[in-house]
Amino acid sequence: MASIQSALTDADWMKLSADLSSQIGELRARAVVLDLTLMDVMDSFATRVLRTLAQTVTLRGAQTILVGIQPDVAIAMVQLGLAQRLDGILTALNLEHGLDMAEALV
Amino acid sequence: MKLDTLTISEDEVISRKDFLEFRDDDLKALVDAHEMAQTYAEPVIEDFYQYLLSFSHGRSFFQDPVVLARVKQAQKNYFLDLTRGDYGPEYVKNRLRIGAVHQRIGLPFQTYLGMYNWYLRNVANRFFEAYADNPGHALKLLLSLTKLVFFDVGLAMEVYLRTIEEQQEAIKELSTPVLQLREGLLILPIVGALNSARARQLTEQLLRAIASRRAKMVVMDVTGVPAVDSKVANHLVQTVAASRLMGATVIVTGLTPEVAQALVAIGVDLSSVKTAGDLQSGIEEAELLLGYRVVKVETAP
Amino acid sequence: MSQEYQRVPIKSEADIVLARQGGRRLAAELGFSSTDQTLLATAISELARNVVQYAGTGEVLLSAIAIGSRRGIQVSAMDQGPGISDPELAMRDGYSTGGSLGLGLPGTRRLADDFSLVTVLGEGTTVTFKMWVR
Repeated sequence: MASIQSALTDADWMKLSADLSSQIGELRARAVVLDLTLMDVMDSFATRVLRTLAQTVTLRGAQTILVGIQPDVAIAMVQLGLAQRLDGILTALNLEHGLDMAEALV
Repeated sequence: MKLDTLTISEDEVISRKDFLEFRDDDLKALVDAHEMAQTYAEPVIEDFYQYLLSFSHGRSFFQDPVVLARVKQAQKNYFLDLTRGDYGPEYVKNRLRIGAVHQRIGLPFQTYLGMYNWYLRNVANRFFEAYADNPGHALKLLLSLTKLVFFDVGLAMEVYLRTIEEQQEAIKELSTPVLQLREGLLILPIVGALNSARARQLTEQLLRAIASRRAKMVVMDVTGVPAVDSKVANHLVQTVAASRLMGATVIVTGLTPEVAQALVAIGVDLSSVKTAGDLQSGIEEAELLLGYRVVKVETAP
Repeated sequence: MSQEYQRVPIKSEADIVLARQGGRRLAAELGFSSTDQTLLATAISELARNVVQYAGTGEVLLSAIAIGSRRGIQVSAMDQGPGISDPELAMRDGYSTGGSLGLGLPGTRRLADDFSLVTVLGEGTTVTFKMWVR
C-alpha cells in the first residue's frame, strides 16, 4: 500500500515507481493499493507513470488498485483523455474499499 | 437573489461608464441641474404615480396607501440621486439594491423600462422649458442624464439576469435527483434534453454523490432524454469513465437497441458502457453485481 | 479587458507544481468552480511540462481577464526551445516525440475555451489558452 502526496514532482514519481516494483518482488505481494486521495491534479505524466507501474505490477503477477481519485480530478482526467489510458486497472472509492478488493484478490 | 452576492467590481463600473462615455462634463452638467431637479421632484413624482396607477399592472403593485406613500418618497430620492454627482460604489450598491427589490416584488423588467422612459420624457420637457432660451444646453443636459439612466438600466438588468441564472441552476439541480436505492447503489434518472452545460453539471453531481454515499454501482436511466445523439452519448461515455475512476460501475438503461446501433454506426464507442434494457433490469443487474440476492417474501396468510 | 499578470519562471520540474498552484489560486479568487480549478491546473501542468521536456526552460504567464462581467484566466506557456516541426501532428491525440502519452496539447485544447499555438523552428513555442468562469 502506498499513499501519494498532493504535489509530487516528476522525480518523486519515478522513485515511487522504482521502490514499489522492487518491493513487490521482495514481499511477494499480490496486490498494490495506491491511495491517490491527496492528489489534486493528475496530468498525462502522472497517468503514464501509473500505467507503466501497473504494467510492471502485472508482470510480477500482482494487481494494481487505484483508490481515492477525487471527483474533480476524475472529470479532468476524462476531459484530457487520460481515463482510458488506465483501462484494465482496478479502481475503488477509498482505501477501505480498495483493501476489501485486495483481500478478495488474495 | 441574495444581496451580499450582488456586487460589481470597481473596474467593471469604470469600464461601463467609459463605454457610455460618461465624463466629467456630464457629471458637472448633472450637478448643476440639481437645484432645478429639486424644484420639479415633487410634481414629477405626483405625475409619475398618476401615470403608473392608470395602468392595471401598475395599480397591482400599490394597493396599500401606506406602501404607496413610502415608495413615492423612495422614488423621489432615487430620481434626485441622478443629479447629486456621486455615482461611485454607494450609488451602484443602491441601484443594485433597488433592482433586487423590484425583482423580489415581481416587477416585470418591461415595466421598469417603461417607467424610466416616462421619467426621461417628462424631465426632457422640463429641461427644454427651463432652458427655452438655450435649447443646446437642454439637449446637452438631457444626453448626460440619458447616459446615467442607461448606466442604471444596465445595473438593474444585471440583477434580473443573475436571478434568471440562479433559477436555471436550481431547476437543473431539481430535475436530476441522485437517488440512493440501497447501500452502494445510486439511481440517476435523467429527464429532459442534455446539453453540454447540463451534462457537465450532472457528472459533477453524480461523482460527488458517489463519494458522499460511498456508491459502487450507479444505474443511469436515459429513457426521459428525448434525443440521444452522438454528443449526448459522448457525455454519457465520459460520465461512465469518470465514475469508473472513482471505483463505481455505471449501467446505462433506456437506450433502445436502434439508438445504440445508430450511435455505434456514427462512431461512438460504447464498448466501455454497460447497458441494460430498462430501469428494472438495470437495477437487478446492479444488485446482482453488488451481491444482493432478490428473494420472494411470502406474505403471511 | 483588464491586464494584470503573474509570471512563473519554469526552470525545472519543481516549477510545474508552482505554475499549476498559482493557476489554481487565481482561479479560486476569480470564482471558478472547484472542477474548473482542477481542469485549469491540469492544463497548466501539461503546458509547463512541455516547456521543461522540450525546451528546458521558459515561463508561464497567468492573467486575470474580463469581458463585461465575464471573468476568466488566460494562460501562456512560452519557451525559446527548438519549436515544433509539425504543429498539426503535435495536436493529434497520442502523438509524442518525448515518450509521453501525447495528450497534453490536444487535451488542453479540448478543455480550454480558446487555444492557440505559435511555434517557430529554432526560436520557440508559445501556447495560449483561456478559460472562463461558467
